[in-house]
Amino acid sequence: MKHGLDFYANLDSPIHRWESRCKLIGLFSLIFAFSFVEQLSLLPGMIVVTLVYYYLSRLPFSFLRSRLRYPGFFLLAITLLLPFSVGSTVIVQIGILSLYQEGVVALALIATRFLSILTVSLILFGTAPFLSTVKAMRSLGLPAVLADMTLLTYRYIEQFGEDLTKMKRAMQLRGFRATRFSRRNLNVLASLVGSLLVRSYNQSQQVYQAMILRGYGYTLHHRKPPNPKNRVSGGDLISLGITVAIALGFVVAEILVERQS
Amino acid sequence: MKGHAPCPLAEVKGQNYTKIMHIPDGILPASVCITGYAATGGFTWYSLRQINRDPNPQENIPKASLLTAAFFVASWIHIPIPPASVHLILNGLLGTMLGYYAFPAILIGLFFQAVMFQHGGLSTLGVNATMFGVPAILAYHLFQLRLKFDKDNRVVTGIFAFIGGAGGLGIATLLFFALVITNIPATIDASAEKMAISGLVLAHIPLMAIEGAFTTAVALFLKQVKPELLES
Repeated sequence: MKHGLDFYANLDSPIHRWESRCKLIGLFSLIFAFSFVEQLSLLPGMIVVTLVYYYLSRLPFSFLRSRLRYPGFFLLAITLLLPFSVGSTVIVQIGILSLYQEGVVALALIATRFLSILTVSLILFGTAPFLSTVKAMRSLGLPAVLADMTLLTYRYIEQFGEDLTKMKRAMQLRGFRATRFSRRNLNVLASLVGSLLVRSYNQSQQVYQAMILRGYGYTLHHRKPPNPKNRVSGGDLISLGITVAIALGFVVAEILVERQS
Repeated sequence: MKGHAPCPLAEVKGQNYTKIMHIPDGILPASVCITGYAATGGFTWYSLRQINRDPNPQENIPKASLLTAAFFVASWIHIPIPPASVHLILNGLLGTMLGYYAFPAILIGLFFQAVMFQHGGLSTLGVNATMFGVPAILAYHLFQLRLKFDKDNRVVTGIFAFIGGAGGLGIATLLFFALVITNIPATIDASAEKMAISGLVLAHIPLMAIEGAFTTAVALFLKQVKPELLES
């Protein structure tokens, strides 16, 4: 797969070696703990924990930077909006613009939580092949229908993306320019989407027949020997314990700090 | 290994891709995120129960998966409204075509958007899935109402496709409004925030009409080219 999501899945690091199920539980608990944080005093700890995990994963910084391209618009929007429009306590007055304390606090909270959760998500999905991550989700109770649909969708997104590019190029070569809103343009674009859906539907029938020929839906009656790669070691459990303890630490600290203030 | 991984899909997506209604990580409190996951778990369970009532649910999995991938890609198409362009949510169209498969399809689509393009987020996946998935199922039921009339009539199909498409986005917008309004932090000026969000919701009314018209055009195209896609 060339989505870039698991491009660095074959690196060697403690996070890469961490068993997928333990990694899913540990890093998801960290994500939810981060979303629980409301106190400014806990933000530095959150940044440090995120950076330590990212450092341990040995993922290059360019990977994180490239993934921040689209969320960057969101960060820019809240940076421009929140400090100048939210709150009542003025810190600095520049002409008609007022910088509010509450807005700056809200910005710090939202931006730090957002960046920390996003970075942990990248560590989670960037340090193992996507197939292994879905298998881990399946063994943790994800319904078979959802797991199969996830893998098949992942397999075909790129192909349909390329199909769409070709179809759009063909339309442009035939003189179509969607520069204004009109009923005709809407109908042409609807036909483009319709054609894409018909193509995918036709292909799905061939895919199903190919899957049936390969034994899809046939349940093995003998138990397969466990794959040694999927065995959970003591080290995996210790890493899981440490990560869950850090996550619980944030939740407890949040409750304690809130009670004190 | 040199440089970071190229993302070929980013080229297709274009530069001005924005999703206002996807709630990103860090905005909502943990209690709402967890409630969102619980609600998504409930709706997914209900959808899978309905799916398993099919005589051969396995046969529909490749079809639903490939259509999910196609919808994921189709949602990158921009409709030009000078000086900008908008992209469609298509949850209503997805509901009209996939029925109860629409909820898992939306959940998977949002999951990929979160992990591949960092749109939405993993902590808010449950909330976003409920916000778009429930209206998709409602759109399916709205579209099925055409069976009480003349289902072979193009005008009837067009009208109910419009109601499904516009209704899908409309209900999602109302859910978004309710979620954001009820979760405004106490430190933020609630009245100014409500005014800004109300403006955003009002701006979605013309988008509902465009989404409805687009769903109608796609439904009529499919009715002519591949009618079984609307029947199944």
